[in-house]
Amino acid sequence: MTRTVINQVILAIVLVLVQVVCNKMMLLGVAMPIVFIYVLLRLPASLGTSWVLTIGFFLGLVVDIFNDTPGMNAMAATMLATARRPVFYMFAPHDVQEDGLLPGLDSMGVAGYLRYATVLTILFATVLFLIQAFTLRDGLLTLERIVASSALSVLLMLGMDSLSTGTTTDA
Amino acid sequence: MKNLIDFFLRHSAWVFFFIYMLLSGMMLFGSRNPYQQSVYLTSANTVSASVYGALDAVSGYFHLHSINAALEQRNAVLEQEGIELRAQLRDLRLLLPDSTLWQPALSPYRMVPATVVSNSVWKPKNHITINRGSADGIKPQMGVMDRGGVVGVVEVVAPHSARVISLLNSDLSISCKLRGSEFFGRLAWEGGDPRYAVLDHLPKHTTYNVGDTVVTSGFSDVFPEGVIVGVVEGKAHEVSAGDVQLKVALTSDFARLSAVRVIINYDAAEHRRLEASDSIANAKKQ
Repeated sequence: MTRTVINQVILAIVLVLVQVVCNKMMLLGVAMPIVFIYVLLRLPASLGTSWVLTIGFFLGLVVDIFNDTPGMNAMAATMLATARRPVFYMFAPHDVQEDGLLPGLDSMGVAGYLRYATVLTILFATVLFLIQAFTLRDGLLTLERIVASSALSVLLMLGMDSLSTGTTTDA
Repeated sequence: MKNLIDFFLRHSAWVFFFIYMLLSGMMLFGSRNPYQQSVYLTSANTVSASVYGALDAVSGYFHLHSINAALEQRNAVLEQEGIELRAQLRDLRLLLPDSTLWQPALSPYRMVPATVVSNSVWKPKNHITINRGSADGIKPQMGVMDRGGVVGVVEVVAPHSARVISLLNSDLSISCKLRGSEFFGRLAWEGGDPRYAVLDHLPKHTTYNVGDTVVTSGFSDVFPEGVIVGVVEGKAHEVSAGDVQLKVALTSDFARLSAVRVIINYDAAEHRRLEASDSIANAKKQ
């Protein structure tokens, strides 16, 4: 239990730092890698929504402070945290045991986890880029950014997941 | 009372949701004046500035080659300009015997070199973080330029870092003119391509050529007159009501900012004091 918590904290710190670098890039003008939400996706399924909300809000806030976008990532992460539980139950296998389960490739299966990660990432990217669209007049560009960034981010997170699954199964 | 506590406990997730949405909404839409923002909530705060400083220590080496080449280029141009100016000065001195007229006026401007540690170009409101702050004499509303020209204006200051509103930020506009003419306008970025901005509010009778240089007007204390901003590329919008709007290719390469200079204006404080006392005097009259 303690070990999981420490692992999660380290993961959160590393991914927020990576996110800080990622926020400076917009590949081909449309795709921004969003990686720190992986922390929220991977929190234990049984963790109360209030906790997920709190962790989400403050992770988003830290990214915002680094990135000079006050409230933007915080709001998008809060929305993601709210939707996490219902989305998880929509796509998790029916016989799944909730206690201590970490949503992931190994526990949810490829199809289930892919849908779970995709829906939440699209939600996050939509909120994030719509908030920016208040000042950016180009609607099509906003849509392109939502789609391209979500696709890139889901790919990255699947990659991270297969890496971490490979190392934690024998632990 | 007990019922109320029970209610909140049962619906704690919703309570948290509303609190966090309210907080982030307040941050998003709350502060209208960027100069009044708390430094703790910006990238200029001590922790994030030092993280950026560490990242820059690693990535800073990647651009050194191109920066060096550009500096050599700039050096050559300045050298040439220096030779020409010295020659002109020598010739003019022969015409004007009274040497007291040639005492140069003390420049109110001083440049503080700084390094960009964080920068973005694709957001609608971009900011830049630099590694110099109040300990180096930097204050809000000072101009920032690099070897290419105008970069932005200092917004909030920490002891050893500062956040700059990039020219690529819809909150910033700069008073500019066409070099060699008296046509003044307002230069602002409209989002999208980080290489172009728009110079508008020019009078209807403005005459211009593609390739004309756009420089700062010197009307504000932020930038001295004549700092280069960009080059006229053509008309900005096909249908423009009334005033002339020009598309300007910016001369600073915002995607690769690194070495910048903060412009300290020693007259600025005095000007502001005068303006403040002026407005107080006006208020008393009314």
